[in-house]
Amino acid sequence: MPHFFFDTDDGDFRHEDDEGFELPSIDAARIEALDALPEMARNKFQDRDRRTYSVRVRDENGTAVYSASLALVGEWHIPHAISP
Amino acid sequence: MIDTLIRKLSIADELTEGDHETLRRVSVRGRQVPARQDLTTEGDRPENVHLVLSGFVCRYKILPKGHRHITALMVPGDFCDLHVAILDEMDHSIATLTPCTVVEIPRSTIRDLTENHPRIAHALWWATLVDEAVLREWLVGLAGREAAERMAHLFCELLLRLSVVGLAEKDGYALPLTQIDLADMLGMTPVHVNRTLQHLRSEDLIVLKKRRLEILDIARLKAFCDFDPTYLHHTPRTKNLNHHQHKLQISAS
Repeated sequence: MPHFFFDTDDGDFRHEDDEGFELPSIDAARIEALDALPEMARNKFQDRDRRTYSVRVRDENGTAVYSASLALVGEWHIPHAISP
Repeated sequence: MIDTLIRKLSIADELTEGDHETLRRVSVRGRQVPARQDLTTEGDRPENVHLVLSGFVCRYKILPKGHRHITALMVPGDFCDLHVAILDEMDHSIATLTPCTVVEIPRSTIRDLTENHPRIAHALWWATLVDEAVLREWLVGLAGREAAERMAHLFCELLLRLSVVGLAEKDGYALPLTQIDLADMLGMTPVHVNRTLQHLRSEDLIVLKKRRLEILDIARLKAFCDFDPTYLHHTPRTKNLNHHQHKLQISAS
């Protein structure tokens, strides 16, 4: 089975994966990458109105083969001090 | 190796030398089981109870879409399925995660232990209640703890559970589980497990390297996940009582 690495970033903590794991195919790696994004968002204390969660999939040779991101955007509709 | 069971059950009760002998007799014939093999499968009607002497075993269910969820981790000294002595059909499966030594104890032997050896019966009941308390704690973790705290909590729990049977040093233990195993027991994606391990490492709390977990600062790790070991019930009621009575005697004299 091919081995994939998943680099992730939530704007505060960037993780370069040097371990990775095996998956049956590149399509399975895509699903793992997409699944991880909402989980990263759920486990983050939401202290900002704008935050982008991203993941990049690399193959055995280290070549990036897929990437995905999730943008969380909050917006006020009333006068309010600007959030960070 | 067999003494892991005696060490574990001795937490629950003051076992006598006779009890030790009885426990040694029932757990002599260990068999080697390779990693990732079912000991019993959902739907089975097993005749034997499994006791782990070495390695890690898990209790799991497979969801309709094929996803595995691990609901319990058994370490040396743990029974996998004492309920087999009473319940009929398995409602879940039990499998080795690593190469293991496992003893198969006939249901009839368990019945004999519970009917004719009161201190052992008490200890088995204690073990079952602790298993339930651990399950409760895992459920709370899944529902309410964030990924990093949930993982840290599991690492603190394993430190205590493995210490009891002499398989942990004060700053770490062998943890030969894959990231996928951890993901399936923590209800996380493997990618997030990987990231969370790295996050805990960046906070100088743990390092998981070459299948060994190193705890860099146990006090900080416990504080990080708000770990309260009460649910492992390593201080038995009888000993607490003695302690209390002892204090009463002191204050009375």
